[in-house]
Amino acid sequence: MTILEAQQLTKTYRLGDREICVLDGVSVAVAEGEFLVIQGSSGSGKTTLLTLLSGLDKPTSGRILLEGIDITDFKEEELAPLRNTSIGFVFQSFHLVPSLTAIENVMFPAELRHDHDAEEKANILLRRVGLLDRAGNFPHQLSGGERQRVAICRALINNPKIVFADEPTGNLDSSNGKAILDLLLELQKERRATLILVTHSQEIARTSDRIIFLKDGRIAAHGLGSHQGGRDGFSEQHHVS
Amino acid sequence: MFHKSFIRRQLTRSRQQTVVFVLCVVLSMVTLIALDSFSRSVNESMLMDARTLHAGDIIIHSHYDFSPTLDDAVGSLVKQGLIQAARVYDLYSVVRTAGDKDSLLVDLKIVEPGYPFYGAVELKSQRPLEKVLTQGNIIVEQGVLDRLHLQAGDTLNVGEATLMIADVVLHEPDRPVNFFSLGPRVFVSSRDLEALNLVQKGSRVDHLYLLKVQDPGNVDRLAAELRDVATPDRERVDTYRTAGSRIKRFFDNFLFFLDLIAIFTLLLAGIGIQSAVTAFLQEKEKTVAIMKAVGATNRFITLQFIVVLCLLGLAGTVLGVLLGFFLQNFLPFVFQGLLPQNIRTGISGWAVLKGFFLGVFAVAIFTSLPLYRLRDLKPAVIFRKEETGNRRGLPFYLTVLGVVLVFAAMILWQLRDVRIGLYFISGVGVLIALATLLSEAVLLSIRKRKIKSLPLRQAFKGLFRPRNATKAVIVTLTASLSVIFSITLLDKNLDANFIQSYPEDAPNVFFLDIQTSQLEAFSRELGIQAEYYPVVRGRIRSINGEPVDVAREWQRRGDNLAREFNLTYRDYLLKDEALLQGESLFRTGVEGVQVSVLDTFAEANGIKMGDRIAFNIQGVPLDTTVVSIRTRTKEFIQPFFYFVFQEKVLKAAPQTVFTAVRLPPREISAIQNRMVASFPNVSVIDLTETVQVFARILGKLSGITRFFTLFSIIAGVLILVSSVLATRFVRTQETVYFKILGARRSFILKVLTLENGILGLLSALIALLLSQAGSWTISRWIFDIAYHPFPLWSLLMIFSTLALVVAVGLVSSISILRQKPVIFLREQTEE
Ligand SMILES: Nc1ncnc2c1ncn2[C@@H]1O[C@H](COP(=O)(O)OP(=O)(O)O)[C@@H](O)[C@H]1O
Ligand SMILES: [Mg+2]
Repeated sequence: MTILEAQQLTKTYRLGDREICVLDGVSVAVAEGEFLVIQGSSGSGKTTLLTLLSGLDKPTSGRILLEGIDITDFKEEELAPLRNTSIGFVFQSFHLVPSLTAIENVMFPAELRHDHDAEEKANILLRRVGLLDRAGNFPHQLSGGERQRVAICRALINNPKIVFADEPTGNLDSSNGKAILDLLLELQKERRATLILVTHSQEIARTSDRIIFLKDGRIAAHGLGSHQGGRDGFSEQHHVS
Repeated sequence: MFHKSFIRRQLTRSRQQTVVFVLCVVLSMVTLIALDSFSRSVNESMLMDARTLHAGDIIIHSHYDFSPTLDDAVGSLVKQGLIQAARVYDLYSVVRTAGDKDSLLVDLKIVEPGYPFYGAVELKSQRPLEKVLTQGNIIVEQGVLDRLHLQAGDTLNVGEATLMIADVVLHEPDRPVNFFSLGPRVFVSSRDLEALNLVQKGSRVDHLYLLKVQDPGNVDRLAAELRDVATPDRERVDTYRTAGSRIKRFFDNFLFFLDLIAIFTLLLAGIGIQSAVTAFLQEKEKTVAIMKAVGATNRFITLQFIVVLCLLGLAGTVLGVLLGFFLQNFLPFVFQGLLPQNIRTGISGWAVLKGFFLGVFAVAIFTSLPLYRLRDLKPAVIFRKEETGNRRGLPFYLTVLGVVLVFAAMILWQLRDVRIGLYFISGVGVLIALATLLSEAVLLSIRKRKIKSLPLRQAFKGLFRPRNATKAVIVTLTASLSVIFSITLLDKNLDANFIQSYPEDAPNVFFLDIQTSQLEAFSRELGIQAEYYPVVRGRIRSINGEPVDVAREWQRRGDNLAREFNLTYRDYLLKDEALLQGESLFRTGVEGVQVSVLDTFAEANGIKMGDRIAFNIQGVPLDTTVVSIRTRTKEFIQPFFYFVFQEKVLKAAPQTVFTAVRLPPREISAIQNRMVASFPNVSVIDLTETVQVFARILGKLSGITRFFTLFSIIAGVLILVSSVLATRFVRTQETVYFKILGARRSFILKVLTLENGILGLLSALIALLLSQAGSWTISRWIFDIAYHPFPLWSLLMIFSTLALVVAVGLVSSISILRQKPVIFLREQTEE
């Protein structure tokens, strides 16, 4: 079943009198529980696509459907509760609220929806990622890897249907990065969430259900991760020209 | 030495903090210059031309008829052609319309030809005074015509004479404003003096000799000559340069008071300057750290920033000067009713200069601390992302102490009164200390608390954000609000006690200057039970052998010992009196003359039991010993006497009788008409009316005070804005994160409103607490009136504060609220 669908998304920016087309007619459908990897060189529009799919920004044209509902023209006030309950984010530079402790950061989305079990859920998650003893620490008292684990907990506390992760390992060394991605995938499996991940790691991409390769604002290739039993890399037959 | 492009960059970046800084400078300049220029205008147009203000070169004043010696001395000087002289009698009297139908207390001025020697009495008809004020004619203020429904040409009974109203007076040089007066002015020619038969022995008349000296160089010499022949303690000889004037004293006091408020504002603006500069320099921390890392010396860096701040300070100063002049033109409207209509407000170069120096000085003081802190900045800051607290060592506290001392010295210089200056400094110090202590206590207790509600918890987190000037905002707001609240509460309390409900049991009519010979007839005519107080006038010559320094006493603010006192005699305590010290009012078996002193006088002048006070009672010396100290138990509208003597001591002295009675308000004017028809020399003062006049002036004064205190609130608001700006980055970050995590706009607004609401509420509540305590103290101990806390007004004041602070907080956060998450995130990631 398709949970998220993008139809002919374009995004252009005006820079002075020049128009830059960052996304140019991108269509993609994501199935429930799917693990989708987006790849592409720097500046190819991956982050832009993610912000459009998650409703953080509006496309210049095209539509976005979440669980079959067209959210393209949703107002900020309608999008906010959607983001709160249905979507989780993990960013490259963590983006934890500096004035909140680790557990407060994790609890925050749950508290926003008046979840009385927020603290309990946050504790369970923190224990799960091995950070229970750091619950009272502020972000600046944590290492990069620890911060990202807190961010993952925060993204998952409301049991979102979709988790967006934009190069979550970009600011971490390779062993830490590997651990974080493993954790993210484990949790995704446990909770049966849909995961849309931007990463440069081929190793991780191979474990995905599907890979999209962005180039010059278009989907240059679709590929299947090994998980689906397909060949490594991209299958030319999926190439969209 | 100066790095021009660096300086230019500092000026153009972080523009908002520089704007707050400049505005704080502007604020202090505006306050200083507007007030200083204004007081200069007042002085120039009303007080500076002292000869006009006194209408003569030499002024001789007495409460009694002049002694023959003095009369002769003046007469001989006139004969020699050295001077011209004019006598003036000033007294209150009740005038009556034809048939004694209606009556009115007026301020009579009986003048000889020649008055005034300087300035001119302006009449409605534009004719000169001497042409109109001939025998049988009087000139009245418009108020007399209005209140008695008369017009020019009608007659008026004054004392025992019937005189014709010939003109209306518009302005008299020696009384530029007349709000002290209990009644409107009536001019009478000295040729009618005898016919009035009002100037009698013992009655309350101000006798004046106005002299014009032909050769101005002779003024001091002639004054000294006359002083030699004048009766000491009784006849005061002054030149226009040394003579005190009630109006001058009033304005000196009032302008002095406004000076205090200006300094208060300057102080709060100074705190604003400091917090803006701190925020400004914090934004430059990275830059400074990088400069240090590449080898720039502290000296070099500090110098660059001093230049930057000087340029900004200069901009603020110039703007402030311009705005000060602009504002100054509106001040006469604020002061309306308190000043003559024709007051000139001019631009005073001196005020600009003085304001400029004070302003620059304040900027220098208040920027020194943040600048000093730059020295402690380690280059390592480049590598540190998070905030760390500022360590405060001995040098820091030394600098703070230095700032405080320098500012205190500045206050003393500005006020030119060490005692009051010190009171003021300690008062402000205590106010700020209390505000700090209370806010600290509340914040601490909040911090410890676990709060369930998410928005509330976030709001409190916001208050404790690093770099947030929460405490500075609360302290400045609290300090300025306390002043405004207190003035409002006192105003309301006085109003409630005297205007809304004149005290039920308080006397509402005073009868003055009853002659002892009239007492019996008067009492019969009045027909009600009343206490009659004998009044004997006298002066204090010395206290414990220390002579009263007349010249110094007249310079004193507030009451002075050199004035004439009303003494009384009786051998018992009044109903509303109680003894504080001494077993009885007087003692038996004690040698010498005994006196009982009122506690307020004793406290103000350090009088103790057993002290010796030497009086001069109309020429007769009287040495007394203090044997008891009394206090009053009732409200302050009851008549009171500082000094009570035994009956046997003063019974034979020249005296008048005074009584205060409670009359049914509707009958007051009828009784007044009847009494003055039979006793023309008796003055009747309708207190309910007097109180209205008093209340009007008071309302005006409190309005003006509030107006100027508003400036200090602006300082508080600027600090709030600066504080929001200083934490802009963290606030934006939080807002964006909250939005991404799915918070609605209403949540973010709620947090922001709560945060500022708490700030406003705390400041308002602490200010209210302080001002309620302060006004209660003043009401109970100084005014002696019942205190009302005015809960509704208090609520209103709290809500206004809340609304103001929340609005300012929201407005200064608009750019933060508008921030698009995607753009912020992109900027952050690129770092
Ligand atoms: N607000 C913007 N204004 C102009 N150009 C932008 C803006 N945001 C992104 N871009 C451009 O869009 C392109 C795609 O950026 P992005 O989606 O971040 O790529 P990626 O995440 O794949 O590195 C880049 O060339 C970037 O410069
Ligand atoms: Mg990217």
